Amino acid sequence: MAKRQAATAAVEVDKASFSYKNIKAIDELTLQVPRGISFGLLGPNGAGKTTLIRMLVGLLKPKSGSIRILGQTPSRQTAHLIGYMPQLPSLYTELSVIQNVNFFARVYQMNDKRQRAKRVEEVIRLVDLWQRRQDSVMKLSGGMKQRVSLACAIVHQPPLLFLDEPTVGLDPELRFTFWEHFADLTHQGTTLIVSSHTMDDAAHCDRLIFMRGGGVIAQGTPNELRKATGKADANLEDAFLYYIHREDKSV
Amino acid sequence: MFNQIFTIANRIIYQLIRDRRTMVLLVAVPLVIASIVGVSIPEKQMLDYIAPAVLAVLILFFGFLLTGISFLRERSQGTLERLMASPVSKLDIVGGYLLGFLLFAVLQTMILFFYLIYVLNVSFHGELWQIIVFEIIIGILAVCLGIFISVFARNEFQMVQFIPLIILPQMFLCGLLWPVEQMPEYLQWIARFLPLTYGVDGIRALMLQGQGLLDIGKEIGVLAGYAAGLMILASLTLRRGASA
Repeated sequence: MAKRQAATAAVEVDKASFSYKNIKAIDELTLQVPRGISFGLLGPNGAGKTTLIRMLVGLLKPKSGSIRILGQTPSRQTAHLIGYMPQLPSLYTELSVIQNVNFFARVYQMNDKRQRAKRVEEVIRLVDLWQRRQDSVMKLSGGMKQRVSLACAIVHQPPLLFLDEPTVGLDPELRFTFWEHFADLTHQGTTLIVSSHTMDDAAHCDRLIFMRGGGVIAQGTPNELRKATGKADANLEDAFLYYIHREDKSV
Repeated sequence: MFNQIFTIANRIIYQLIRDRRTMVLLVAVPLVIASIVGVSIPEKQMLDYIAPAVLAVLILFFGFLLTGISFLRERSQGTLERLMASPVSKLDIVGGYLLGFLLFAVLQTMILFFYLIYVLNVSFHGELWQIIVFEIIIGILAVCLGIFISVFARNEFQMVQFIPLIILPQMFLCGLLWPVEQMPEYLQWIARFLPLTYGVDGIRALMLQGQGLLDIGKEIGVLAGYAAGLMILASLTLRRGASA
């Protein structure tokens, strides 16, 4: 059983589609994400990244096809296995940093008071906000709010973490710090699904997909995708443009 | 399940307590309104008739407004989405809101009640605990109404626009100022469909006629029915795994 579970991918999407009224947001998308890696969903605005993440966390149900996370269909029963950091900071602005993190720890059924307090302190220290723990979230800068949001998503130590554009609006130094946290998490065995539209984020991922029009146009490691362009000095932006042009030509 | 309800209620209470201005307004505004009613109605008999209705109207008004805006913010700030992706159920969310806001409704009721009785000398022939229980029923209705209506608003400005649409007609037709029986027949017919009419009738029976909760079964039944219906509608707006 344990062997079978270890063999299961963290995320399996099979020909999943989703539309908002007449607009097709996800079009027969197929995807497999192995456990314990950082996996990037890269693409321009409107490519379907957020819709895909909302489907993976169970907020949206595919119109067709199937989705499995850690071998199970996303539902309230699987919710404790995932951490979700939405695009907006999504925090209670009147509450303090520690109250927000503690609230989400309780929501994720961390019922032992002492253990919860220890873990809450640990994650607030991890995002470097312990000195500001009693401050209302509304008094914090945008970058600090993002850090609180990350703390709320990881407080219950989920094996699978979904981060929707986690580095938007962050300065380069803070972005670097975030990626250091993410690398630590994957070393501990957490699977990270990170959406982004910046190629800087893409370079940090173990594997990634390029998305366009609700589908996958390419996937691989950052190196594999760069090499596919045939240029020695190609970066991921060149690789993305290469795949877009290739797709346009084939159409 | 109850654990999650308490967690959400606890959070709502902390949110309101930390917002000191809102807390002061929650206590002061009903007292100011009650004072205006008390001063502007010199005739004791008329004041006795209107004051219980003011109690019912204010609980509905504040319960609706506070819950509606809080829930709207929960939606617009993205925290509701975060909650819906967590192990909490929609029943936990609605239950948490009910418990959290009812605490403030009870607090408001008690402050207003003592102010009406001991400062404005309004006549009272019933029992306080029965009035609190009845006000809780109106409070439940207000919270469910607030959650449900918040679906139709995209921002606080729009939410406030629902007050003239949802609350004001009920205030004018519930018998607050004028007995429903003396209104034109078509207005009486409309009033019979408005929950606040039953809230005002019930609280008058408790405060003025010295009746008990068992004597106002019809009023309690109608209010509970409305609250249950709105609770179902409110829960339906919180869909996890919605397909669009």
